[in-house]
Amino acid sequence: MAKMEMGSEAQEVTSTGASEVVKNDKKLRTRDLIYAGAFGAIYLVVMLAIVMGCSAIPILYLMAPLFVGIVCGTIYEMCVLKVRKFGAALILGVLFALVACGSNIIGLVLAIVFALIAELIIKAGNYKSKKMYLASFVAFNLNMACPYTMLQFARDEFLARTVEFYGQAHADALSAVAPDWILWAIMGLAILGGIIGAFVASKLIAKHFAAAGIV
Amino acid sequence: MNFELYGDDSTGVIKLDPRTKMVIFLSCAITSINMYNDQYMAGYIAVLCLILALCGKRIMALKAFAAFAVLFFLRYCIQMQGTGTGVAISLVSVLLTVFIFMFPMVVSLLLLIQTTRIGQFLAAFQAMHLPAAAVIPVAVLFRFIPTVADERAGINKAMAFRGIEMTMGNVVRHPAQSIEHLLVPLLFSSVDVMEELAAASEARGLSTNLVRTSYEEVRLRPLDYVVMAAFIAFAVYMLTFSVTGLTG
Repeated sequence: MAKMEMGSEAQEVTSTGASEVVKNDKKLRTRDLIYAGAFGAIYLVVMLAIVMGCSAIPILYLMAPLFVGIVCGTIYEMCVLKVRKFGAALILGVLFALVACGSNIIGLVLAIVFALIAELIIKAGNYKSKKMYLASFVAFNLNMACPYTMLQFARDEFLARTVEFYGQAHADALSAVAPDWILWAIMGLAILGGIIGAFVASKLIAKHFAAAGIV
Repeated sequence: MNFELYGDDSTGVIKLDPRTKMVIFLSCAITSINMYNDQYMAGYIAVLCLILALCGKRIMALKAFAAFAVLFFLRYCIQMQGTGTGVAISLVSVLLTVFIFMFPMVVSLLLLIQTTRIGQFLAAFQAMHLPAAAVIPVAVLFRFIPTVADERAGINKAMAFRGIEMTMGNVVRHPAQSIEHLLVPLLFSSVDVMEELAAASEARGLSTNLVRTSYEEVRLRPLDYVVMAAFIAFAVYMLTFSVTGLTG
């Protein structure tokens, strides 16, 4: 729904073709859509690399939201700081949801909701406040917990799948470290990852990217 | 895995519409998660490689299938040997399983990226009157995945010149530094590519709201419908199959 609206806005705005002089620069230009898609590619590649690296060891697999948050925070912040309009975090969130939770509807919807919350946090800072940009990543990174909703809502099925895929020993290990409250723990890790990731992003952006005039 | 930046299907025996390839990709994403049967998996990957070969990437399809066969054989050996579950063995077997389970998605992604020009992709999805905000990010996403892999390889070489290695040990010992070494050059060079893409898109009139014309002829042919129907049917079949728990 929100996506559709954005589309019509983007089409209305960019008729001038010139990128910098647009009357209403609250709306997404083609340039912004390209930034969102490209940062989405970087985000997803890095995220998948981390999750693949973690997935061999059960406890690390459950901690993936923390690591992804720490590393990918900078990529997210670069994306939203480069666009500075409504839609960048949402597009990133939708691309993430489609790739990471494609076969898990609850996770898919939740991931998009978290991206929307991130958008609202940025909006609360009027697209200017640096603190709000950083804070929004904490909400955004909660989407890393979404693929794990399977663990909560269909725990038995999930473990049955793990037996099929990785064998009984792996499933036992996973179920030993995955009690009922695990989803909350994972969400906690995602929030922690978001906070650390935002700090890392703030440091790196101040040290490198702001100095180079990129954001 | 080496991606070429620009897809090409001029040497292909059959030409599939980008939308068909997209359906294949989505179907693979659903199917591979729900597929436990080894014979099905082997057959599915054989079909995907065949389509990739027919679309013009014969050598790549052959390589992909050979890689799959090796992984599959290794896992079979481990399963048959049955000497219990040592840590190393179970780790290797888990890694093999992850690779095998990712395989349909990788092959269908190769099909989508390697045999589709970005112009074809845009033309096909704009023909469906989808809004620009939905089409452009997805097109750029697929165009950019090879770029990220490419930049990563370049960064590795550059780091090697300076005697920095991205090994597991280094990552654990200096996590903050590793993140910086990975992200800063990756983002810097990617931002440059993005600026070029954005400039190119303006030169090509992507930012106007007029109807764009395209050299690419985009049309769904009967073959497209057949392939799409087959993949959707199989995905639905696998989904119901796994939900009812009749795994075997």
